[in-house]
Amino acid sequence: MTYLATFHWGWLLASLLLGLAMGWIAVVHRGKGVSRTTARWLAALAAALVAASLTHVVPGRFGYWLDLGLIMFALYLAGCAVGSWLRDRAISRHRA
Amino acid sequence: MHGLFRWSSKWWPGTIPLAVLWALAAWNSTLPLEADLAARSNAALRDTVLDKARMAVAGRDVTFAADAFSEDGRRSAVASVEAVPGVRLVDDQTRLVPEAKPFAWSAERDVARVTLGGSSPLPAIKNRLLEAARAGLGGTEVVDLMNLSRGAPPRFDNAALLLLDQIAKLKDGKVTLSDTKVSLSGMARDLGGREAIAAALKNLPEGFSVAANEVKAPPYVFQAYKDPVAVTVTLTGYVPDNNVHAAIATAAGRKFLREKVVDNLKASVGAPAGFANAVVPALGALARLSTGTLVVSDREVKLSGDALYEAAAVQIRAGLGKDFPQGWHFKPEVSVRPAAAPVDATVCQQLLADLLAKTKIRFESGRATIDPDSVALLDRLVETAMRCPTVNIEIAGHTDADGEVAFNQDLSEKRAQAVTDYLVKAGLSASRFTPVGYGSTQPLAGNDTEEGKAQNRRIDFVVRKGE
Repeated sequence: MTYLATFHWGWLLASLLLGLAMGWIAVVHRGKGVSRTTARWLAALAAALVAASLTHVVPGRFGYWLDLGLIMFALYLAGCAVGSWLRDRAISRHRA
Repeated sequence: MHGLFRWSSKWWPGTIPLAVLWALAAWNSTLPLEADLAARSNAALRDTVLDKARMAVAGRDVTFAADAFSEDGRRSAVASVEAVPGVRLVDDQTRLVPEAKPFAWSAERDVARVTLGGSSPLPAIKNRLLEAARAGLGGTEVVDLMNLSRGAPPRFDNAALLLLDQIAKLKDGKVTLSDTKVSLSGMARDLGGREAIAAALKNLPEGFSVAANEVKAPPYVFQAYKDPVAVTVTLTGYVPDNNVHAAIATAAGRKFLREKVVDNLKASVGAPAGFANAVVPALGALARLSTGTLVVSDREVKLSGDALYEAAAVQIRAGLGKDFPQGWHFKPEVSVRPAAAPVDATVCQQLLADLLAKTKIRFESGRATIDPDSVALLDRLVETAMRCPTVNIEIAGHTDADGEVAFNQDLSEKRAQAVTDYLVKAGLSASRFTPVGYGSTQPLAGNDTEEGKAQNRRIDFVVRKGE
């Protein structure tokens, strides 16, 4: 993991920033969200992929791409969470 | 917390650019990542002795194949690749270097090259053997066909290096090391080389032994070439020692009348028994040829060249082998030189006188037996007499004044007769020759000095005109 982080810090940073931006927008976004059922399925899919990555069942390059994708996705989610939280705080302060 | 769930349902649109980003990252980073991991893995193995190490990286998985020289070395090599940061899985395809039983190593020399084959225990030892071979063999090409195996006996490298030294002493041949048994075959480069190799093999490391030493000594070669154009006799090759050398040089000086003896002989051990007793008569036969080569190789004497006339060729072919010590073989390849143009009586006398002026027909002291060293001169006299077939010749015998007159008279007659007999045996008509003995009545010089007496002891050929 450390090795991937140092080797790909540029791409990981980009994922994080993308997440921040998406999280920032999501708070005030008026479009349709993902339904509760879909979200469960997506969560299950993510968990399955993480499990596959941790057990090293995907060989060679595909295994590497899976690891890379999961790390980028994790950072994206982290960015989203932080972005949404910041936006929410900014709006609350504004209202107050 | 409830807000986070609410917002998260609207995070999905960002996954589309994220997927693009992911694809770009995968596209750009896969090959550099693989190269980086391969370089780190190879660096981790730098201090490990392996043969045929191969590394293939796919993503973060390394396929590692190599031949290791011990089980510990194999395990530690795999462990050090596994420990490289970033490597996910190691596909272990390592194995141990095969064990050779028996552990055989060989060095073979032919005309052009030395080939090292068989098994060698470690890459470092293999390289040492190759370097030693290149250094010890001068410019000879060294071909490496050695493979690496386990199971070498202790001190293998010392034994192999010693054997490489012996290969340098061979002209061609093979040295084999099978476990601790040494076998040698081939031909030594120099006389004495075989003995030197046998002596060196006594220094083999402990535990090694000689199973077979079939190195042969090179033939003991003596050569003589009679060159009628340069008027030289060139002696080359080997003689057993300085005494024999001197004896052969003296014999050559006596047997070759006009030719200068060029002596390039070297003394060396290893001569066959009876060497001088075979070479000296063979030189006498060579002296009778107009041009020829004498090659003595071990116990085989080969004489090739042109005799002056037919009877001489027959005598040489049949006679020389009889003089040889037991076990010696004679291979004559003697042909006859084409007869020279006929000459008239005056020229004939001139030619005969010229021959006898340079050297004389010698006899055993006080007897009428022709010295074998004078046969070459007699052959030339016969050849000249054949060029003037119609001319009659008086064979005149003379002695010095020592001894009784009657004895000298008798001796001179007998010596003249002996020479005449030789001419007749050579195929000339007896009626052309008149043997006459003059005793000491016609001296050429004073009989008071040894030199003068030697001049007076002689056979003259006198052409009788108009008879």
